[in-house]
Amino acid sequence: MVIDWLPSILIVALLLIGVVGMLRRSSLWRAGRPEKVNIIAGLLAMPGRYFKDLHHVVERDKYMANTHVATGGGFVLSMVLVLVVHVFKVEQQIVAWALLAALLLMLVGAFFVFKRRLNPPERLSKGPWMRLPKSLIIFALTFIVLTLPAAGVLPEGTGGVALIAVLSIGVIIGLGELLFGMGWGGPMKHAFAGTLHLAFHRRPERFGGGRSTGLKPVDLEGDVLGVAKPSDFKWNQLLGFDACVQCGKCQAMCPAFAAGQPLNPKKLIQDMVVGLAGGTDANYAGSPYPGKEVGNAKGGPNEIITAGLVSQETLWSCTTCRACVEECPMMIEHVDAIVDMRRFLTMEKGETPNKGSEVLENIIATDNPNGYAPGSRTNWAADQNLAVMKDKKEVDVLFWVSDGAFDMRSQRILRAFVKLMKAADVDVAILGDEERDSGDVARRLGDDATFQSLAKRNLATLGQYKFNKIVTTDPHAYHCLRNEYADFDKDGALAGVEVLHHTTFLNQLVQSGALKLDAFKGGKVTYHDPCYLGRYNGEYEAPRDLLRSLGIEISEMERSGFRSRCCGGGGGAPITDIPGERRIADMRMEDASATGAELVAVGCQQCTAMLEGVVEPRPEVKDISEILVDQLVEEVH
Amino acid sequence: MPHKVISLISVGRHPQSGRSRRADQDSRAVELGLKLAGTDLDVVHAGSSEEPVLRQYAGMGLPKVTVLEQAESADALPAISSYLKTQQADIVLTGVRSESGESSGMTPYLLAEQLGWPIVARVADIVEVKDGEAQVLLALPRGQRRQVTVKLPFIASIDNAAEAARQSAFGPGLRAKMEAQSGSTEEDSVRVNWSEAPAKARPKRLKVVKAKTAADRFKAATAKPQGGSGKVMKNESAQEQAQAIFDLLIEEKIIR
Amino acid sequence: MSDIIRRDPRAEWIMRNRLHPLHDQYMSQEEGGEVRGPSGLIRKFPHKVGFIGPNGIKRIDRLKGNSSAPKGKRSAAAQEVQLPLHKVDSPDYYIMVVADMVGGRLTGHDKDILGLAHKLIAEQGGNGAVVAVCFGEVKEENFDTAGVDRVLHIEGEAFEGYAPEARVQALAKVEAQYTVKHWLFPDSIHGGCDLASRLSARLGERPATQAWQVNAEQTVSRGASASLDITRQTPKILMLLEECADAIDETRHEATPITLDDVAVSAATIKDKGLMAVDPNAIPMAEAEFILSAGNGIHNWDQFHEAAKVLGATEGASRVAVDDGFMPRSRQVGATGTWVTARVYIAVGISGAIQHMQGIGQVDKVIAINTDAGCDMVKRAALSVIGDSEEILAELMKLAAEHKQTSLSDQAEENSNAA
Repeated sequence: MVIDWLPSILIVALLLIGVVGMLRRSSLWRAGRPEKVNIIAGLLAMPGRYFKDLHHVVERDKYMANTHVATGGGFVLSMVLVLVVHVFKVEQQIVAWALLAALLLMLVGAFFVFKRRLNPPERLSKGPWMRLPKSLIIFALTFIVLTLPAAGVLPEGTGGVALIAVLSIGVIIGLGELLFGMGWGGPMKHAFAGTLHLAFHRRPERFGGGRSTGLKPVDLEGDVLGVAKPSDFKWNQLLGFDACVQCGKCQAMCPAFAAGQPLNPKKLIQDMVVGLAGGTDANYAGSPYPGKEVGNAKGGPNEIITAGLVSQETLWSCTTCRACVEECPMMIEHVDAIVDMRRFLTMEKGETPNKGSEVLENIIATDNPNGYAPGSRTNWAADQNLAVMKDKKEVDVLFWVSDGAFDMRSQRILRAFVKLMKAADVDVAILGDEERDSGDVARRLGDDATFQSLAKRNLATLGQYKFNKIVTTDPHAYHCLRNEYADFDKDGALAGVEVLHHTTFLNQLVQSGALKLDAFKGGKVTYHDPCYLGRYNGEYEAPRDLLRSLGIEISEMERSGFRSRCCGGGGGAPITDIPGERRIADMRMEDASATGAELVAVGCQQCTAMLEGVVEPRPEVKDISEILVDQLVEEVH
Repeated sequence: MPHKVISLISVGRHPQSGRSRRADQDSRAVELGLKLAGTDLDVVHAGSSEEPVLRQYAGMGLPKVTVLEQAESADALPAISSYLKTQQADIVLTGVRSESGESSGMTPYLLAEQLGWPIVARVADIVEVKDGEAQVLLALPRGQRRQVTVKLPFIASIDNAAEAARQSAFGPGLRAKMEAQSGSTEEDSVRVNWSEAPAKARPKRLKVVKAKTAADRFKAATAKPQGGSGKVMKNESAQEQAQAIFDLLIEEKIIR
Repeated sequence: MSDIIRRDPRAEWIMRNRLHPLHDQYMSQEEGGEVRGPSGLIRKFPHKVGFIGPNGIKRIDRLKGNSSAPKGKRSAAAQEVQLPLHKVDSPDYYIMVVADMVGGRLTGHDKDILGLAHKLIAEQGGNGAVVAVCFGEVKEENFDTAGVDRVLHIEGEAFEGYAPEARVQALAKVEAQYTVKHWLFPDSIHGGCDLASRLSARLGERPATQAWQVNAEQTVSRGASASLDITRQTPKILMLLEECADAIDETRHEATPITLDDVAVSAATIKDKGLMAVDPNAIPMAEAEFILSAGNGIHNWDQFHEAAKVLGATEGASRVAVDDGFMPRSRQVGATGTWVTARVYIAVGISGAIQHMQGIGQVDKVIAINTDAGCDMVKRAALSVIGDSEEILAELMKLAAEHKQTSLSDQAEENSNAA
């Protein structure tokens, strides 16, 4: 009877349509620029990446992790078995029972998905995503009923035509969502795109416990610098955007979103999806960019993004704190995308907002963002009796001073650190006036040409001297030196050199007993993790160890460690200065005040400046080296 | 009919680092030129077409820069003047003073004299060009403006009060065409005899007391230097405090 | 005070009589009074002994007030000193100083240049005369003490207001009519530089601009945006920086008017349409010379804006005021905002974060209005008033309004003559 075959035909038909959709979807990604990816190795590594790295992120939310394992695992298993049982008609009861078990597992998972969707948190997208648990349940139930005869629970032909018809509708609804939807842009697209995204990720180093946070250099010979149109992204970046599940974890973590600035990382990624597929954002059912209505954005693969799809302020609101990337279960690289688009605005259009253009011009003309005379870079150290590389040529530790040298507040940090190094008898020297801005601000503002020029000139300077370690008090310079200069270091100026943040270095000194410190006698202390030290470089422990070595019991903020909230000072955000409803620094200071701390310990001059900019009364803000120096036991020689 | 506008550009010098850059006033002249003529603006430089600073100007959105190729020591004036004579320009824009070289600010005046055109100095804005006449705003001290009209064609030197130059974008700057023409070979013969040295700091004028008596001279010599901590008024009434501030403003000639 | 010296016989008597009950009191009012040390000995404070006599020489009155003439307080009836007159009869050559005459009066810059002109004559020798060339309305009354031997006042409607073309034609005529050794101009934005450049182009002379060290042979002038000192032969036309020489202050000069033959002025291609009113807030903050800056301590923002308007100040703000949205970002003063170079900076309710202090490092006079006498801004300020900013600003506005009322007529006159 034909009708008996109907479900099987439907399965095959939907599977084929789904596959066609997937092929079509892949062609959309291929509109992106080429990028070399090891396809085979990626595919082979994919399951491992899924079960280890991705799951590691998802597991931060136990409820959802278990739900997803049940639903996803159950679905994959049952889909395979559905093909075996219902298409290839393998008539072994054990297989049918296995299918039933898988479907039950999936049903349980789908039930919990359903439960979460009953009263979903604000960060989750609604729209088609609200339909998903129902489709999942229909799929599971339909196939359970359909499989019961094969398992021998029900006799063949139970229910007759009517049931077959009902079940066929179930098959259409269930598989329509799961197979057709997967290929044609439904919520289930995430499974297909996500799988491939994991396989062909642009930063494979991130998997297996690694870290890859340095921005990729721009080819300055290219015909367009940066990303103007969606098709200017690398193909695997486009693929990455398509993997988004709209869980909104990024949105919940984004400091700019919380401050009411017009940025929502989830919406941004969805707008990129709109861009790569063409169309409008009318179907987007999540939170908008604060202060902007949904439905007006339009774009296509070959249309300029900032002309209608995403506004410029959105791109300039980002502090590049990487909280979204850290939180994303699909390992999407939001910051890369934002900086790519900023590069176009700065290097092609010359539209860096507010003080941006002035800062860039200063960096170009004076190698520092505020346009000070390059010859006054070492003025702060006039009384420090510091050796200069030019005279020493060879030294154990090179102290990278960074642009804090020009800022009177940051100079206090520098002096404290120098005093500590002197107390520990470190063989140290500075570059003096030969040092230049690390290029961090220029790069985050999208001016990669200036960054590259600075990087090359700094490397050429460094290449003249011999040293074992570079230590810096500025996490931004630290990040550039450690993660981003390697792309330009053709002569190996930094080969074999250990790049350290001062907290790491001081911690080594304290642990080795080179520094003698008194116990700290002040009040409660909390520690603010700088983004460029923590999320960018994974250094969460050294600063805490240092505080502990003073006998301080740190009262941690609710958001600390890898979830630390940005101070608002990164990514050139204070320069581009996009207005919001609140200031990010104020919110961070509220976090700190909530712990009842009287002192906020910081490991970054930029964070210090931002947090100290909060109107009093507020806890005091000090760099860790400043706290240490107050407790230093000076030995009389 | 759109007007033909030419902006003259030179290599600037950053006041802090002394490095080459696009000169402040010249780039404002380009900005004003772009406002008047859009990308039809002709931007002219006398010097080397290899000069990287030209790319910074071009980054303001210029498709090409005309370069009158000549050695650094050559006088720019004859080249520019003969170039202008071949062009049917309506408005020529320059900076008030160059940031490198002699910085005499004579270029626009000499060009005007040679071409027989009027020159308006320290222009803040060109508001309107109509009926062979331009309405020009001149910059005066303390942000004041004077409105004048000038007959076309004319030369204008652009003051720092003019609208700031737009940001220079790296990409377009890199791709702009440098159209080289031969410039002049005339050496600046007068300048050869000058001696040049890095600027010495100018001494601040001291208050010289020409005292008639020994006692006055003694007093002047031993008088406490001004400065130290300022005066703090704590318990006076608001009126007295305001009076003290006001007296200081009068003394400093802020309020006249 | 009356110039008549009056004696106080009673006071003299008491001072003579050591047994008088009021003796100590009267003596202690006088310099060098008796003070008893801890052991009861009479101590003399040698620095207090004596007084400055009428010739400026220190005198010690050993008569203890017993002299017939009462001491001190001789009225300082400033005698009008008649300075010696410097006369130049039928000069061989002239040095022309084309003065800016802002508001119809010689500026300090003009006077420095007049001083330099005399220095050049002294070095070169010969019978030279310094001529002040002026256009438009002249209100200056002290040409004689400023070192002007001759005054060439070029009058006529064609030279009024902004008329550089007509003026340069007149100057060219001067060159033809008189034996001019040097043309000296202030290198200023008041028109001196413009006129000098026009004249140089017209006469085909190569001028020295931004000259600051000039003698008869050599001129040192600034070049390459003031980073270079160019030494050259002193040219005929000089544009001089301020303080290039000392102004004349010890001689009086004739200031005799001389005349110019009629100048045929050709029709102007540049037409003056008058001055435009400009909002002080349109002045770039980095160049403003008077800034009223607001911080966290301001609560009445309308009043603050009003005060800035009344005082004619450019508005500035601390970072906090900007962050809170009361002022635009472009108004922020400080390390991350604008570095200002104002002569006077009034900080209202700004306690003075270190970044802000960095931004006002080059300010000449800081005035702090604050409620906290211990804040850093008060330490930096030349004058600090501690109190409620709203009240003080209100009083200040009142004073400014009164001042305007009294000097209104005077000001109106000046404005009409402003270069």
